[in-house]
Amino acid sequence: MRLARVADGALLAIAVFIFLFIVLFPFYWIVLSSFTPKYELFTIPPRYWFSTFTLENYQVLANSIPLARYFVNSLLFAAGSSLVSVAAAFLASYALARIQFRGANLIFIVFVMSIALPQIGGLVPLFELFKSTGLINTYHGLVILMSSLVLPFTIWILVPFLRQIPYEIEEAAIMDGARLPQLFWFITLPIMRPALVTMFIINFIIAWNELIYPLVFATSGSNKTLSVGLVELAVQPTAGGGRPWDLLSAMSVVMIVPILVVVLLFQKLIVSGLTRGAIK
Amino acid sequence: MTQSPTTFAPIPARTARFRLTQRTRRIAILICLLLLPSVALRLFTAVYPFFNTIWLSFHDWNPAFPPQQFAGLKNFQALMRDIAVTSSISFTVLFVTISTLLEIVLGMAIALILHRAFFGRGVVRAINLIPWAIPMVVAAIGFRWMYDTQYGVINDLLYRTIGVKVPWLVDFWGARAAVIATNVWKSTPFVGLVLLAALQGVPQDLYEAGRVDGTNRVSAFFYITLPLIMPQIVTIGLFMVVWQLAAFDLVFAMTGGGPGFATQLLAYRIYQVAFTALNFGYASAISMVLFIVVGIASIIGLLLFRKVEVSL
Repeated sequence: MRLARVADGALLAIAVFIFLFIVLFPFYWIVLSSFTPKYELFTIPPRYWFSTFTLENYQVLANSIPLARYFVNSLLFAAGSSLVSVAAAFLASYALARIQFRGANLIFIVFVMSIALPQIGGLVPLFELFKSTGLINTYHGLVILMSSLVLPFTIWILVPFLRQIPYEIEEAAIMDGARLPQLFWFITLPIMRPALVTMFIINFIIAWNELIYPLVFATSGSNKTLSVGLVELAVQPTAGGGRPWDLLSAMSVVMIVPILVVVLLFQKLIVSGLTRGAIK
Repeated sequence: MTQSPTTFAPIPARTARFRLTQRTRRIAILICLLLLPSVALRLFTAVYPFFNTIWLSFHDWNPAFPPQQFAGLKNFQALMRDIAVTSSISFTVLFVTISTLLEIVLGMAIALILHRAFFGRGVVRAINLIPWAIPMVVAAIGFRWMYDTQYGVINDLLYRTIGVKVPWLVDFWGARAAVIATNVWKSTPFVGLVLLAALQGVPQDLYEAGRVDGTNRVSAFFYITLPLIMPQIVTIGLFMVVWQLAAFDLVFAMTGGGPGFATQLLAYRIYQVAFTALNFGYASAISMVLFIVVGIASIIGLLLFRKVEVSL
């Protein structure tokens, strides 16, 4: 019996170790490559630990592309679109969850089902529409696109959340003479703050990682995001045919670090937000 | 509708003066105002493009030569003969099927591991979230570097352990396997996360009852756990299928669809035809194929979900 338990524990430990290795090794490799001088990247066999530590890749990267600009663009794009989607979803889910009317459920289902519409399928009409309305290569154009993309998911999470909150809290406020704006601002908003913050963070991460919209709709230099900069660097032919793995690794690290910070700070919130819809 | 307990129903002093119709009208206006931003966003960026794509698929249109011309079924006839398109359809189906199956099986394994109590479990659960959170382009580029035939670390590890080297991204099946493996690496932890949450919802007393009846761990899994979390498995499976049918970033950044058409996914093909070849009408016709495949997958998924729910 005891032997069986020891064997069981050993198996579990091995499984956890394999899991951690598979998940973490690619990160290790990217980080290691980003601090390795270019000439040492192309050795056979590859080196598993620093032989020379260098920050040069980051310097070269910052000198060859407008890295800071891309970073700020990504930040503004992600924050702006998350703010818009959470605000719009908050209003909509208030109507869908709090006011009983015929068709509320149908509207909710239509919103949720529209998650399935593949983004890339509608890109051609959107491109023409944006060109004719002057929204192309604008910051607000991108924000509109991205906030709309994450909107159905946000509503999907917020509506059930709101339905769980007892009506009595709001009723009491109405009894005390609160009018709608006050009700919204002082009662509903504070109650929903955890869910709203959660959705903001999740939407931020999704927008930060987004590629297609910036790739198609932010083609001028001043609007590009980190993701676009990264793929441009990756598809650029270089002398000798090889890829600039030193610079690509450095840029990947620049792009990952903010996300890792957010994930580690808010992991409880993120997990609750991601799983609530699927579990209900 | 009038007696239903709306939030605004119990406003005794203020609303008593209004006639019923006025009150309902005010509520209707309020509902519209609240829904307006969301509906406007979705109409503008999802519904309109969807219907316009259907319209465009029956037209010839190159933005460099402006007039759109009605083309009937010409685009659709062309895509059936187009090897680039037909092979991208078959690879998309293969990619999605294998990816989703692997993600569910491996995600289930991750969920079962992370469900057990062990030292450092919280940290491991946090690490499990990381692949979901990092950009697909970063995963694609990182793996492309690791798959490098000459200098890549994957071949080095393979060579050290089993003495073989694989020409990953230059070989037809090697590239396909590499793309699918990267996708599974990136997406499985998310499936694991959802299934872990599902596991946590299974009542513990069922297992105790099972233990009294002498079930071992394996049969407890197949006769208690699996049936109970089947709805969540189907839901996340449907999600992954629909989501991965539209996968783009991975192939764009990792293989460019190559070698040849080996790793062309449908979404990547659409992008190529639309924004590299500037053949908007044809791209719209290919988009229709994507819509239809997503539609079929959704219907199958929903039927499956209903069946699972009913059987519970």
